[in-house]
Amino acid sequence: MLFFNKIIYFYYREYKLNLSGFQDILTNIIFFFLSIFIFIFSIGPDKETISNIGLGIVWTLLLLSSTLSLRKFYQDDFESGNLLILHLNGFSFGFIAILKTLSHFFFVQVPFLISLPIASILLNIASDKLIYLFSSFAIGSLILSCLGSISSSMNLMNQKNFLLGSVIVMMLSIPVIIFSVGVINFEENFNSLINILFGILLIVFAINPWAGGLCLKLSLENS
Amino acid sequence: MILVKELSVERSNKKIFENINLSLGSGKIVLLKGKNGSGKTTLLKTIINIIEPSSGSIYWKGKPLKKNLYDYYNHITYIGDKTTSLRQLSVKENINIWKKIFLSKTSKSQIKNILKTMRLDRYLNQKVNELSFGETKKLELLRLILEDKKIWILDEPLSNLDEETIDILAQTFQDHRSKEGSIIFSSHQNSEIGVSEEIRL
Repeated sequence: MLFFNKIIYFYYREYKLNLSGFQDILTNIIFFFLSIFIFIFSIGPDKETISNIGLGIVWTLLLLSSTLSLRKFYQDDFESGNLLILHLNGFSFGFIAILKTLSHFFFVQVPFLISLPIASILLNIASDKLIYLFSSFAIGSLILSCLGSISSSMNLMNQKNFLLGSVIVMMLSIPVIIFSVGVINFEENFNSLINILFGILLIVFAINPWAGGLCLKLSLENS
Repeated sequence: MILVKELSVERSNKKIFENINLSLGSGKIVLLKGKNGSGKTTLLKTIINIIEPSSGSIYWKGKPLKKNLYDYYNHITYIGDKTTSLRQLSVKENINIWKKIFLSKTSKSQIKNILKTMRLDRYLNQKVNELSFGETKKLELLRLILEDKKIWILDEPLSNLDEETIDILAQTFQDHRSKEGSIIFSSHQNSEIGVSEEIRL
């Protein structure tokens, strides 16, 4: 019970931190919508073309926008020594990786999830496809958070090259995008594709505490 | 309680320190002394099991540290060279978060008294990034009281503190010692703190 309280207060701390850094979340959302506008203006007024490639645009931009937030995933806690203090207070490195991943999902990805209906109106995505977009994004974004956790923890060991982490996330996100867009475009295969996405989620969710935790430990050892 | 036997650490084929022996029992204060780069921080980080030693061993309550790690962590407070307070939050918010995450039993009046002694009470609603480095350091030292653990492992706790705060800290060390607590801290400066043992690196 006491440890459960610690987890609750860990999220209280994350909430406070995200609230004070709300401009970062807002910048991500603004980047997302501005990029949609840029796509619309560069494609032209053809509604059908926008509608056809709209889902691809949404997914690409979601990936790019969530990559923007990766730098802060562990960096602040690492530099301030909070990672170490959390570890010394009963949070294993693997568990910290899980908690931070879920925090990233709640505070970075969920705002995107909420803004999806507006994005779908802008990109002329049919309203009946919205439910598929929601379900694929709910799973896909958690996968992106897990991949983000792994790559950000790797970045702590190689602070000179932040782009390396982003490249890793983008490379590993390709299957996520293939199956997520597939979920929406091939509705008849919805169940099988969503199961594949869920399978990918389980794999990365299992790897994350192990790989992320190890990288956190090594980065603290070498700091 | 903590026993360090012939501890050596090497990094990139360079010896940081070798064959360090120390024991930290109840009521003992150990000072690690040495110049910058002599390996004081590395030794403290090895003692808290963040850095792997190249040889030697550490024991906690008679057992190898790794076999008893979580019990060990339940008994130590580590204050490193970084300030862990969240800079974008106020002093009060930081204390509240610490109290909750450390499951601290320290009473409000006790915290109020310490803040007053350290002259931090007037900054309670101020954000940490508005405080001076010395004041941030004082806030960091408040963790010793909030965590309320038996063993304090401190990296350069005296740096950036004024004489008055050093005196308060010295008194706090003695109070902790009288409660059977033990302290290991590093410093490159001379201080009036009465120590039981001094190890030169």
